[in-house]
Amino acid sequence: MENRKISPEMFRVVGATASDAEKISRPSLTFWHDAWIRLKKNKGAIVGLIITIILILLAIFAPMLSPYKYSDQDLRHANLPPKVPGLEKISWLPFTGYSAEKVDTRGIKTPARDMYVTENMRTGEKTEYKKYHYFGTDDLGRDLWTRVWTGARVSLSIAVIAAIIDFLIGVTYGGISGFFGGKIDIILQRIVEVIYGIPYLIVVILFRIAFEKAGIVTLALAMTVTGWIGMSRLVRGQILKLKNQEFVMAAQTLGASNMSIIFKHLIPNTLGPIIISIMFTIPAAIFAEAFLSFIGLGISPPLASLGSLVNDGIKSLTFTPYKLVFPATVISVMILSFNLIADGLRDALDPKMRK
Amino acid sequence: MLRYTIQRVIYMILTLIVIATATFFLMKLLPGSPFRNQEKLTPEQIQMLNKTYNLDKPVVEQYFAYMGKVAKGDFGVSFQFKNRSVTKLISTRIGPSAQLGLQAIILGTIIGITLGIAAALRHNSWIDYGATMIAVAGVSIPSFVFAGLLQYFLSVKWQLFPVIATNSENQLTFIGLALPTIALSVFVTSTTARYMRTEMLEVMGSDYIVLAKAKGISYFNIVFKHGIRNALIPVITVIGPMAVNIMTGSLVIERIFGIPGLGDQFVNSIYTNDYPTIMGTTIFYSFLLISIILIVDLLYGVIDPRIRVAGGNK
Amino acid sequence: MDKLLEVKDLHVSFKTYGGEVKAVRGVNFNLYKGETLAIVGESGSGKSVTVKAIMRLIPNPPGKIVNGEILFDGKDLSKISELEMQHVRGKDISMIFQDPMTSLNPTIKVGKQIMEGLIKHQKLSKKDAYERALELMRLVGIAQPEVRLQQYPHQFSGGMRQRVVVAIALACNPKILIADEPTTALDVTIQAQILEMMKDLQDKIDTSIIFITHDLGVVANVADRVAVMYGGQIVEIGTVDEIFYDPRHPYTWGLLASMPSLDTDEQTELIAIPGTPPDLIHPPKGCPFAARNQFALAIDYEEEPPFFQISETHFAKTWMLHPDAPKIEAPESVKARVRVMPGNFEKPIQVEGL
Repeated sequence: MENRKISPEMFRVVGATASDAEKISRPSLTFWHDAWIRLKKNKGAIVGLIITIILILLAIFAPMLSPYKYSDQDLRHANLPPKVPGLEKISWLPFTGYSAEKVDTRGIKTPARDMYVTENMRTGEKTEYKKYHYFGTDDLGRDLWTRVWTGARVSLSIAVIAAIIDFLIGVTYGGISGFFGGKIDIILQRIVEVIYGIPYLIVVILFRIAFEKAGIVTLALAMTVTGWIGMSRLVRGQILKLKNQEFVMAAQTLGASNMSIIFKHLIPNTLGPIIISIMFTIPAAIFAEAFLSFIGLGISPPLASLGSLVNDGIKSLTFTPYKLVFPATVISVMILSFNLIADGLRDALDPKMRK
Repeated sequence: MLRYTIQRVIYMILTLIVIATATFFLMKLLPGSPFRNQEKLTPEQIQMLNKTYNLDKPVVEQYFAYMGKVAKGDFGVSFQFKNRSVTKLISTRIGPSAQLGLQAIILGTIIGITLGIAAALRHNSWIDYGATMIAVAGVSIPSFVFAGLLQYFLSVKWQLFPVIATNSENQLTFIGLALPTIALSVFVTSTTARYMRTEMLEVMGSDYIVLAKAKGISYFNIVFKHGIRNALIPVITVIGPMAVNIMTGSLVIERIFGIPGLGDQFVNSIYTNDYPTIMGTTIFYSFLLISIILIVDLLYGVIDPRIRVAGGNK
Repeated sequence: MDKLLEVKDLHVSFKTYGGEVKAVRGVNFNLYKGETLAIVGESGSGKSVTVKAIMRLIPNPPGKIVNGEILFDGKDLSKISELEMQHVRGKDISMIFQDPMTSLNPTIKVGKQIMEGLIKHQKLSKKDAYERALELMRLVGIAQPEVRLQQYPHQFSGGMRQRVVVAIALACNPKILIADEPTTALDVTIQAQILEMMKDLQDKIDTSIIFITHDLGVVANVADRVAVMYGGQIVEIGTVDEIFYDPRHPYTWGLLASMPSLDTDEQTELIAIPGTPPDLIHPPKGCPFAARNQFALAIDYEEEPPFFQISETHFAKTWMLHPDAPKIEAPESVKARVRVMPGNFEKPIQVEGL
């Protein structure tokens, strides 16, 4: 111990600085601020968020800016491979407008050729089709770039509408059940118990069959027939947990009405799990819609969804793989990004993780 | 436990009644007649058909007649394949689907559990991040997209696997089932891996693991005797969602690889408006899934001693 | 007396979002054979981290023993391999945890959990281990041990579970038993039973105990010596009488003043210590307790106080014992209990370390 700095006058009583001690030296963070900081640290979630925003922007603007309409047919230019200005010269990228070289089962080779140039059999005269189709065209000559992003728009709309309906019904049902409890709760929960057992996609299939043609809203409705159950159970569980906590009792003793307790106290406190649940509903609905499209119960043509495009693509996989690859990539990346965000949110909003 | 089981079975029956009822009335609501090419049929023929399918009676009467038959496992006669009962149709188609499903579950759980354990034990390492990424990607890519891509690259482009799962005699081959099994197992792998990782992390962070360490138990024994054992028990609960996914996945994957299973049949019946088959298969699928979930729940109670006794005391 | 365990200048840190939490900052103490050393302090004072470091049970990451030595049986426990450590844990040093409800594996029968350590450390056969487990169950006062060994933890009450945890800890006759707030999670009546049992067992097995608690009432019952921890450091250490009847550190005064006892009459007021413990990410420069200390000296905010030795066994880390410090009277409730300790030196002597 060095004594050099110690002088007798340092031994005077100055007392506590208790007010300083009360101060918490780390800045106190609100729940949402804290959650945001943690979300930002989650690289996966941020990547997911950025990709989702890009996909949403493309789904909104790509069809608007495209010179083609999703339903424009041009049979003369059907089944064209992708061709992108600038990238068309790079031979190893699939954007050259050339068909792939093929060998059939008998070993006969079909060499690659520029599909955008048509040769008149009689005259040998070559005519070049001057337009570009970034993702190629389908068997009716419709531009796939436009159709993929229109499809993304449709898939997203269905998913978001389904999530909103799930949320509204689920929160109302679960909220009533959990808050009032007693007989109401017992009856409501018996009903839930019965419906809960019904396999989700089977109900969706059944209800979808019941509509002859399907648009965005019908599909979204089919998905919410039992989709809200999960949300209602979640909300009920949260409310039961929170109901007996002091702050609700305090509000009750202060004479707050039931409605104001539900909306001012309970719902905000259950918001975290609800947001997480919604974020998981969206990819699940995109998935479900794709699945329906795949078994022929999706959106009615000429409108397309990502699922119906994938379905069309698989049918002609051997000759025109690009018809599968683009919608398949977009739908996978879309579901993946939503799942990444949802995962990140769950980790960020889970108070158990709070350190 | 017995009371709980009975209660669950009653709910299961109620659920099935709701499904059967909903199926029945939805099919009744459908516009138009179930018979294709009706214009070509004479009125006598239509009347005869209506009589065969009980369509001349009032709807309520039809309903009770239908429910009575369903209770006995009789789903009526297929529209598409005349003279074949739906029950028969289902029973001949279930074999390939069951084989495919079981293979996918076995493959998926083995890989998934291994991945999950590795990720948890090397928490925040590249193994963990890799496994997590695989798991998220695996639940995100729809199985039919995955199947399509596998088929294109491995079968069409590089010709490593047959495109169709059956041989020329319409028999399933092992190599032919490889790609559909892999495609179907992706979801199983991912969900099991995710769940196992979470459970394992929680278990390894629990007080009793600290106590086991304090006892001087070796790391190996802590991981295997205390860790994996306890983490595996709740993982049983993913069997429910897994079964659902295997079922829906098989609908599309059987179609892509030409497997003559129940899923393929179901999609066919949707395409051909074969209502008795749609109804029958729907009810059968529901029965199957509800039973699996019930069995899993009961099994969970048997395996986890905490629940076992809590249930027994009730 | 034989030194069993020697902790020298122990530093333990945890990496967190906010920065490095220096949970233990230079702790020194010895544990002698057969004694019970109580470590007291409020939550966050580093007492639990200290003993977890001795057991090498600090989860790494985020935690790490940054510096220091833990000498036991000729080895430095902070340096030996994990494998060597496995042979110390449960055999030579064992530990009882705070929450008996979660510290037993819920899916393994209690008998097996007791036998596990016996089979590993004492190389007993299953049958012998079972016999020993029966004996241990009787020792910790569990009736019908044959039946109980075949049961799962959830079939036991909290107090009974803690007895099982004690049985596990004592299975291999450890030289040191570390009890980390073993009674905090229990009902008061059960607490007394468990404490009684531990005292009994110590007489029977002759083991040294490190007893962690924030409850001074418990300390008076069980301890031979007491170490008071604050802000990751030991601020006062002495025999139980010295700490209770001749406390020197203002934090110890605060603890004693806030503790009710049977002879607390209506006039004596229980005084709470104002404020909260220091932030250990940025520990204060001088005395960690200064900010909450009504008697704090100017130097307390500048220089970390050294230890002053009051008797052969009594040390306190406060500037108030410096010859230049003004004479400060302890609060009324503490002064009332002060007795003259026969072993005290004439004057406190400044020492380096412990």
